[in-house]
Amino acid sequence: MNIPESHLAQEAIAALVDGELGGGPAARAARHLTGCAQCRMAVQAQREAKEALHASSDVAVPGDLLSRLCAIPFTADVPGTGGGLGSMSAGPGQLTVSGATGSWSVPLAPAPGPGDRPGHARWLRRGFVGVLGVIGVGVTALALNLPTDGSDGARTSPDSVARGSFEERTEIVPPVVRATTVGTGVAPPAAPGGTP
Amino acid sequence: MSDAADPAPAATEAWVAPSWEQVVRDHSARVYRLAYRLSGNPQDAEDLTQETFVRVFRSLADFSPGTFEGWLHRITTNLFLDMVRRRQRIRFDALPEDTERLPGTAPSPEQVYSDTHLDPQVQAALDALSPEFRVAVVLCDIEGLTYEEIAATLGIKLGTVRSRIHRGRVQLREALAHLAPRRPVSSQDAVAEGSAG
Repeated sequence: MNIPESHLAQEAIAALVDGELGGGPAARAARHLTGCAQCRMAVQAQREAKEALHASSDVAVPGDLLSRLCAIPFTADVPGTGGGLGSMSAGPGQLTVSGATGSWSVPLAPAPGPGDRPGHARWLRRGFVGVLGVIGVGVTALALNLPTDGSDGARTSPDSVARGSFEERTEIVPPVVRATTVGTGVAPPAAPGGTP
Repeated sequence: MSDAADPAPAATEAWVAPSWEQVVRDHSARVYRLAYRLSGNPQDAEDLTQETFVRVFRSLADFSPGTFEGWLHRITTNLFLDMVRRRQRIRFDALPEDTERLPGTAPSPEQVYSDTHLDPQVQAALDALSPEFRVAVVLCDIEGLTYEEIAATLGIKLGTVRSRIHRGRVQLREALAHLAPRRPVSSQDAVAEGSAG
């Protein structure tokens, strides 16, 4: 039952072009291609399509989009657990987030996984400590600012702020915008809620 | 209020902590490029990018180390596919007020080129692909993901990734040939179509 030389499967053609074919199948495909113009053409077509896409340089992000992205910590509401932003604390080793449904911690130590890319991942994890620290500053500033300024905090009862619990709050957006004045050095607040 | 979070000064003194701004700066170009290639126009690309970063910000606590770029790819592509499906529903419901946001009001080729430096014909050919094929091809050929990474990003099987990439490229090439008749594309290429069956 010797199966005659059949053409390459379409999926194999794509995989061959992308170097995703295993050694054995790749060798068989190469043997077939030497004698089959039809499959050679199909491979060539895949290659051309790939190259057409590949030849693209970097894209510049529009400046206003960039500033909107930077302002996300001050414009996006963070649901956290069940609405209110609980408290977060970040240390060198781990990050603790506590909210209405309890608290959990995010270990920031290097993951044991084989695919760990040390420098990059570590940089990012530390980045998040910083980011969450900034959120923490925002929340702190919120707590400090609210009692002295009633106009913005109409929806928040001063009691809940004084108790240091944010569980009853479902929205922290408007007051946090003002937190940028605390000097976190993050981003100048863009117009809040400005969508294109 | 003493309960409120500590800004963690200990963590910030030994190294320069990247701010959110820095995270944005380091990853926004990649996300925007992906969003642009998928959606084919700057408005949708901006919306998708913005929404992706909002999700990232909201889900920071769920972030597991080492998967950040995969995470970005997954969020962006899922948001794109959601957007496409939503619009397909809208089209069926024929709501007139949304027609101007439907694909079809593509920017001029000059606009596309000045925005992305991608050959406008290539972008137009990409736009002609069905969204599922487009996502697979873009992740493979523009973002350089492996088949396995694409399968994980889209939650589909490896065989599906292979066939979507293959068929996507065949369609892309046909669209390019259609857009640029000067290109030397012979009709014999169509044999690739039926060769396996």
